[in-house]
Amino acid sequence: MSWESWVIETISRALAFGTPLLLATVGEIYAERSGVLNLGVEGMMLMGALTGFAISMGSGNPWLGILIAGLVGGAFSLVHAFASITLRANQVVSGLALTMLGTGLSGVIGRAYEGFPLWSKLGRIDVPVLSSIPVLGPALFENQSPMTYIAIGIAVLGWLVLFKTRMGISIRAVGEDPATADSLGIRVPLVRYLCVMVGGVLAGFAGAYWSVAYRTAWSGGMTAGLGWIVIALTIFAFWNPLYGLVGAFFFAAMRVLSFRLQAWLPPELLKAMPYLLAILVLIIVSRGTLQKRMGAPSALTLPYTRGED
Amino acid sequence: MNKRVVIAAMLILALVGGVVAAYEPGEDLKVGFIYVGPIGDFGWTYSHNEGREDVEALPFASTVIVESVAEGQEGPVIDDLIALHGCNVILTTSFGFMDGTLDAALRYPDVFFGHASGFKRAPNMMSYMGDFYQVYYLNGLIAGALTETNKVAYVGAFPIPEVKRHMNAYALGVKAANPDAEVHVKWIYSWFDPGAATEATNALIADGCDVFAFTEDSPTVVQVAAENEMLSFGHYGSQMYQFAPDYVVSGQAIDWGKIYVDFLTKIYEGTYTTSNLQHIDYWWLMTQGAVFPEAAPGVPINPLYIDDLKAYMIDDPTFGMISAYDLHNIRLAQFSDPGVTFDPFQGPISDRNGNEVVRAGFWLSVDSLITMEWAFENIVGPWPNEPE
Amino acid sequence: MRMPSWIQVERRSSISPWTIFAISISAIVLALLLAGLLFRLFGVSPIRAYGDIIRGALGSKLGITETIRRMIPLLVIGVGLTVAFRALFWNIGAEGQLLVGTVAATGVALFSGIPEILMIPAMFIAGFAAGALWGMGPAYLKVKLGINDVITTLLLNYVAIALVEWLVYGPWKGPTQRGFAYTDRFSAAASLPVIAGTRIHWPTLAIGVFAAILLFVLVKRTRVGFEIRVVGENPDAAKYSGISQTKITLLAMMISGGLAGVAGVGEVAGIHHMLLSPEQISLGYGYTAIIVAWLARRNPLAAILTSFLFGVIMRGGDVIKVSLGLPFELVDVFNGVILFMLIGSELFIRYRVRIGARREVA
Repeated sequence: MSWESWVIETISRALAFGTPLLLATVGEIYAERSGVLNLGVEGMMLMGALTGFAISMGSGNPWLGILIAGLVGGAFSLVHAFASITLRANQVVSGLALTMLGTGLSGVIGRAYEGFPLWSKLGRIDVPVLSSIPVLGPALFENQSPMTYIAIGIAVLGWLVLFKTRMGISIRAVGEDPATADSLGIRVPLVRYLCVMVGGVLAGFAGAYWSVAYRTAWSGGMTAGLGWIVIALTIFAFWNPLYGLVGAFFFAAMRVLSFRLQAWLPPELLKAMPYLLAILVLIIVSRGTLQKRMGAPSALTLPYTRGED
Repeated sequence: MNKRVVIAAMLILALVGGVVAAYEPGEDLKVGFIYVGPIGDFGWTYSHNEGREDVEALPFASTVIVESVAEGQEGPVIDDLIALHGCNVILTTSFGFMDGTLDAALRYPDVFFGHASGFKRAPNMMSYMGDFYQVYYLNGLIAGALTETNKVAYVGAFPIPEVKRHMNAYALGVKAANPDAEVHVKWIYSWFDPGAATEATNALIADGCDVFAFTEDSPTVVQVAAENEMLSFGHYGSQMYQFAPDYVVSGQAIDWGKIYVDFLTKIYEGTYTTSNLQHIDYWWLMTQGAVFPEAAPGVPINPLYIDDLKAYMIDDPTFGMISAYDLHNIRLAQFSDPGVTFDPFQGPISDRNGNEVVRAGFWLSVDSLITMEWAFENIVGPWPNEPE
Repeated sequence: MRMPSWIQVERRSSISPWTIFAISISAIVLALLLAGLLFRLFGVSPIRAYGDIIRGALGSKLGITETIRRMIPLLVIGVGLTVAFRALFWNIGAEGQLLVGTVAATGVALFSGIPEILMIPAMFIAGFAAGALWGMGPAYLKVKLGINDVITTLLLNYVAIALVEWLVYGPWKGPTQRGFAYTDRFSAAASLPVIAGTRIHWPTLAIGVFAAILLFVLVKRTRVGFEIRVVGENPDAAKYSGISQTKITLLAMMISGGLAGVAGVGEVAGIHHMLLSPEQISLGYGYTAIIVAWLARRNPLAAILTSFLFGVIMRGGDVIKVSLGLPFELVDVFNGVILFMLIGSELFIRYRVRIGARREVA
């Protein structure tokens, strides 16, 4: 096989596999940028996957499925938001509980949907004109899910909002120094609620993509750990949606390549790599100014109460 | 009430609770099934549960199930099944349950036990397994005949002897139908991982493969192959057919009910007792009707492909020029014959490193089958633990 | 926090253990009521379900001993976590520390050739050391480089999972297991004794109880314990009073990681007698223990009580799976609901909430 087809195939598959990672990572970046760690991504994705599948099957419209999956993901994330923001509960415990609840609920309710193929799935498209560019065309613009381009759009938009708008400044301020943000008149709990919900909506989209575009069937626990890779990717992306774009597709490419390179690399090493790389990245950026610019939001996992602490 | 009386009462209760009356033939059977996965797993556990439904249909047996039991936790589940439901037969369906089942068999000498896929037994514990290797050989014949690229694919779960045996049987079938074809292998290192199965399938498509067999508990490979208008073989029965009715050519089906009904009937009739199971080891294949090729329910080969198979001619050393369809059906008849007149692993066979692994004129023993590590000569791809 | 005017919230200055206990129990009762609705939806009478849980977990010899067996890893890990949490180190990595403990114990059991009589102690020591090292890495990264502890400990769990998988599918795959991914079985000398007629591997339980008492004394009565509390409650004060945050954090994580490793030794030497696929070894003990320690309000002695509570919940889940044939995911939902109720009750523990008209508080 020629090198072109290797490159084309790898990039093309990386886009498909990386789409849900990207969506959920951008969402988790928003939650964490506002200071709320949400370990419930896996649970939210599963709720989204089930909702997307059930609605698409019932209505025959996959877009409706994805949309409602986002709403369900957002609503589901409110449980975590309420616990960690209003009740000031431990975010780690609450996030773990959310994953438990999401895995359990989707599994119980989803039993009725196991074993059915989804005929009203989200098809793939060729982007007109662009797909005829040599090499790049087939790699990037041929036979892809429209959700992939939507995810990329969301990442870019997410970056613009976070770094180029007043709203983004507020979000980052809340995650870095909520007391100061509060004194400047920013409504800390409101910002955090909204950011956690953005995380939930995007995780819901990611799950729905998995069940109506990528896989087109439902089975309990079908995300098989994607939600935890998202947690690692969020760090790998330095809490920046644009780096998230690079990170999600890079990891997806590694995953795709792992099946090509199977004869030479132990699979467990490839499995552990996203996590090892994320730790390595944290160590590299831990020095001085880099830490300030690229490190974790200072108030991550810390509840905020006016006039306390 | 004084303390001693209470303790005595508790002891008596504990004793009564823990002892099951010895079984007399003709009594009703209460059968407890312990599954390692969820019933909806589209594979191993699903197929056992289908077999359980045959048991439920017996007039003298009723069943209880416990799903998703982790390995190492089977001991207390067995205790509960006996204490809470009064089960007098316990069937455990994962290799990892073997030691816990044996331990329970010793503790409950009056309860019947059966363990799937293992090799340890006791006077009241038998072992059983239905194996697909003959079916994979038949699938391989079809794959070899229908491939246009001379590259057929196998997506494997884990590189363990069970999966390797199935791949080798498949590869032998491919070779018999098409000496020029290769079998390309990728591993996903999971029994259930739709993402990995999707990407492994795509990687094999990129390598030029056009017919797919697999071991994974979801219809993912079937779906991905169909999206690319490529053929596949359903794993664990016809339930995968509906995911791609035009592209599933055949597949591997198992009827655990055959083994279960035979075992339970023999207990009911008094043939099996809690003292004569030490050497009872079901290794049931096509002859017993435990396994069979199946595309859709009751349909061994998808009718869409029968003409192609009839048109494809094979120069067979035994039968001369013969169509793939006819050869498939002859082999199927030979496997199903009570005498079994053919086996895929019929010597001489050499592995891809040139070692002779089956001598001319010999068949492999069950022991050699279940410890198989070598790879057949037309297999391409990584093969952990391969003998030099 | 914004609240409607008819709700008054004020921070409690102190709270008695009994109030905490009462609030937590109320939360659990509320959770049981809510989960009862769930059972109803499945056509199961909640009274029957709870009856089965209580009877199955506490009402028979089998029930009680199984509850205790389930409690052992939660206790051993949970006790260690109370110390880490006291030093304000969020160790989410007990799952991974447990797994490397199982690896170390398996290495000693199968490949060390240590005299039989020393085998069990050597396995515990190796397990403790492995867990401690796995835990001290993130501790070092936190104190020296300021890297978030939640994230590093969590990520290392996945590395530990990959390590165990690599070993059981690769170099440590047992020749006697017919190609399946298990190591060979441990010898009798490398298996923990159990209380006769039960599955309770008592040495691990004894270590857990002993550690709870010892660490309670350490935290409450010694200089080191005082320093741990200062580091956790007021890092700035710690700095000015010359307490080494590095030393204290590393020590806390040595204890926490080490005990998680010991729990791993208990699981492989007491239950499985071999190393196997990681998801079959742990059943999420490392994560559940976080909740155990958090519920114990970082008090090592209270962890005995909270780990027992979760032993009942886990055992109860096992029982209703068998007795009522409920889908296994329902247990997750059940646990999730209980957890959120307990999380919610936190508010009432830290704050006094009054409902009614606005009233001036002195």
